Amino acid sequence: MTQISLSPSPLVRKMEGFGSLSEVDRSVLENLGTSTETVPAHSDLVREDERPRGILLVLEGMAFRYKMRANGSRQIMAYLVPGDMGDLDVGLLDRMDHGIGTFSACKVAWIRSDALASIRENHPEVARAIRMSTLVDEATLREWLLNVGCRVAIERLAHLFSELLLRLQVVGLASENSYTLPISQGELADTTGMSAVHVNRSLMELRRRGLIQFSGKTLSILDVPALKALAEFKPNYLHLGERRAA
Amino acid sequence: MSLRLQPVRVETGSGDEDGRLVFRDDALIALLVRLSDNHDADSGKWFLEAGFGCVAQERNPLFEDLEQAQAWFATR
Repeated sequence: MTQISLSPSPLVRKMEGFGSLSEVDRSVLENLGTSTETVPAHSDLVREDERPRGILLVLEGMAFRYKMRANGSRQIMAYLVPGDMGDLDVGLLDRMDHGIGTFSACKVAWIRSDALASIRENHPEVARAIRMSTLVDEATLREWLLNVGCRVAIERLAHLFSELLLRLQVVGLASENSYTLPISQGELADTTGMSAVHVNRSLMELRRRGLIQFSGKTLSILDVPALKALAEFKPNYLHLGERRAA
Repeated sequence: MSLRLQPVRVETGSGDEDGRLVFRDDALIALLVRLSDNHDADSGKWFLEAGFGCVAQERNPLFEDLEQAQAWFATR
């Protein structure tokens, strides 16, 4: 695997996945994440019905978008990995319609809407890359709907693990076949629309088939092509272009 | 109204095989499965593998034992 960028900024790495950026563009993106805060694991970054605080940028750790029913049932509908941003036009909203929580301790930055608007106006390549990232977020949500609606238990997990491998590789946080997955079985259940019992059984079946292995929080995919084939994983929706068309 | 539990072996594709068909009067309303030793802290608990009609759930619950499960069915 060829490393795309040596930038320490996951945002720069991610955006360079959508096209080349100038030094100025890179530095503009790096400066977006300079005012940071650290948030503990299992806490809310954003709560439903609250006023938006700004545009969220995840720099370290993993977070997720979710909605809850009154009875406590939760559906997780997106993962935010380093380099991922919350809604770009959140400033148009009076109140949030969903929450964002953390799986692990996260380092995040809050970007002001007017600051981002100014960057988008003055740096067309950055504007293009940011727009691409929004399209990819929407495409990923469609893929997750397909996952929950049209795949059986082990295929859902196989698809999620295949997607995360690629997304984390883009930002330099996965090797060829492994990454840190700070997510419990209950959280995987809420992501894939299954019970924790079915998640546990499915993980056992994936291990039995020699496809994955967990060592603590590290997930190793022992046979990447076989896992992708099981999930019918087709990475076109991540729009990584020629760089990672494999 | 009476609840009746009938032992059944269930092919879940895992080690969880010990099941009970749950009948209310003559109608099948649920399938319970006892979780095997592969489920850490939940081993030995009874899982609502499938619930029909008024016992259908969006996320199926676990019960400590069959008595607790039957008490739950009685409330549905």
